[in-house]
Amino acid sequence: MMKIPALIKAMNGVDRMRWIGVTGEIMKKLVLGLLFALAPLLSAQAPPNQEVVLSASAGSKLGIALPYPRISGLPEATVTNEFHQVLTKDLEEAGPFAVIQKDLPGATDAASYKAWADTGTEWLLTTAINRSAGGDLEVMIQVVDVMAGQGKNVKAVMSKRYTGKDGALRRIAHKISDDLMARLTGDQGVASTRVVFVKEAGRGIKEIYQVDRDGANPYPLTNYRSLTISPSVAPDGRLAYVTYKGGAPEIWGQRVPGGPQVKLYPPSGKAEGHCFCPSWSPDGKRLALVQSDRRGNTDIVMLDLASGRVRRLTDSNCINTDPSWNPAGTQLAFTSDREGGPQVFLMGDDGSNVRRLTQEGTYNGSPAWSPTGSMIAYVSRFEGKFDLFVYKLGEGKSYQITTGVASSESPSWSPDERRIVFSSGSRGGMQLYTTDLSGNTLRKLISLDGCQSPKWTRAR
Amino acid sequence: MRFARNLIPLAVVLTLGVGVACKKPAPAPAEPTAPAAATAPVTSDADAQKRAEEEAARRKAEAEAEAARKAAAAAEMARQEKFKNDAAAALKDINFEFDKSDIREMDKAKLQAIADFLKAYPEAKIQIAGNCDERGTVEYNLALGERRAHAAQNYLTGLGVAEARLSSISFGKEKPEVQGHDDQSWLINRNCQFSLQ
Repeated sequence: MMKIPALIKAMNGVDRMRWIGVTGEIMKKLVLGLLFALAPLLSAQAPPNQEVVLSASAGSKLGIALPYPRISGLPEATVTNEFHQVLTKDLEEAGPFAVIQKDLPGATDAASYKAWADTGTEWLLTTAINRSAGGDLEVMIQVVDVMAGQGKNVKAVMSKRYTGKDGALRRIAHKISDDLMARLTGDQGVASTRVVFVKEAGRGIKEIYQVDRDGANPYPLTNYRSLTISPSVAPDGRLAYVTYKGGAPEIWGQRVPGGPQVKLYPPSGKAEGHCFCPSWSPDGKRLALVQSDRRGNTDIVMLDLASGRVRRLTDSNCINTDPSWNPAGTQLAFTSDREGGPQVFLMGDDGSNVRRLTQEGTYNGSPAWSPTGSMIAYVSRFEGKFDLFVYKLGEGKSYQITTGVASSESPSWSPDERRIVFSSGSRGGMQLYTTDLSGNTLRKLISLDGCQSPKWTRAR
Repeated sequence: MRFARNLIPLAVVLTLGVGVACKKPAPAPAEPTAPAAATAPVTSDADAQKRAEEEAARRKAEAEAEAARKAAAAAEMARQEKFKNDAAAALKDINFEFDKSDIREMDKAKLQAIADFLKAYPEAKIQIAGNCDERGTVEYNLALGERRAHAAQNYLTGLGVAEARLSSISFGKEKPEVQGHDDQSWLINRNCQFSLQ
């Protein structure tokens, strides 16, 4: 595998699509049938021009150590499985941290700090977990700067107490990871986030599911025993999706946070074509959705939830679908075949100022505007499969994120913009993965077949 | 078809058979009346005979009605069977090229057969479902399936089928007809399916 980057270097300047094809052939020979066993290899290349969009190199990471917690009142296995491993994974996957795995004492004296500092540790996280007879959990953490702490009395840079009932350890671990991220880097972490997605539950039956960011606790959000697809999550956690449970596809979801799932569109007896692909506006007040007309064309329309008013944003003799909002709620990216094959376009939220974004390739789609608004992820098809790309609006250039024999589809950004969740697989067996923007750290989100259309959210 | 054709003679035989069978009891009451008159002079021979005749007539009418009902049911079954068979013969999938919704020349005869079927059965309504192969995005394929269903719908209305008798739906790539991942499977999955509503 080490030869591949060298090959890419040698091929700088070669037409991008041809490069993908050549590499694809080599990959096929190397990987053979071991696609998923060797999944990390599949995207282990930088884009052909050797640019990396965003990546923290190992050298610039913050060294953090978390000695095993002092525990009382609960079994070590519980702490290991539901806390220590969970927190370790959260910190490793957060991005800015390098977790130092050394079996040294978590003592608060200068000698211990020196020992930790010698391992490259900058921050030492010590934890005590107590469980009362009644099942009340108390988790106390302390973080010290071991460099500053050598030979002096040091004050903890962070001390915090977390409480909960039995079963809350996992949630507390995620909270600690996010709090550390906020305290030490100033960024909001994603350990407590979730991914909403579609899972096949039988022939022609799909349901909406959600799963924790670390792949734990998958569970269904719908149980219609029908075709239910295309979820969107509002900033306050409200769902919207398409279900065929009444025969024709309709938009269902929640009008209030935590409320019942009801039909959102179309109003009864007013079906003027079929509805697809709802997308919540960033303020959660509007839904961009897709509606077909009597000629078989599909347009993007805007539904104002409070008034029920609908406005058509596109009106052309073609397909318009896949609306994705910019974070300000003023623009939409979408897929249209108005100039021939499917391409990604942008427009104002009133349908004005339509312009084409993607210029290369014959089939581009599934745009996903990034949380800060500076990038748009999308998929591009070549030789019957899709790869993820990211278009940087500031540069006006696209970067390839995944490469391999598998087809990678339906990108959705992590709320911190560090990663993208997507569905990937070959021969129909799609699973959920996440990747950083360099494509170097590909991770399987959960070992479940038949998954599609993931949406990454803080709100659920 | 063969089953349906055979049902009608069968129904006729049944009707006749029941008719013959119920004629036999009619003269029967006449015989017992004679010995009855000898041993039991109290009873009115005329009354007994009248009752017996009435009973016989009632049975005969019942049997005839039952036979008629059976014949009608058999005819209805045959009609439905023929409808089902004609529908199965006419409602064949049509297929599409990749990312296309044009009706292929070779599929026009199939659509003509569907139009003929709808003319032969004016009460029939059909749903047209547009489908795609797996090599496209979820949402674009839903739109493409919509376009395929409408292409078939337009062609049928062009052949004189009333629009009210045709409904359409798109399943995109969500409900593939076959699970394969080769050219042949993809072609099968890029289709319009026609089903009775």
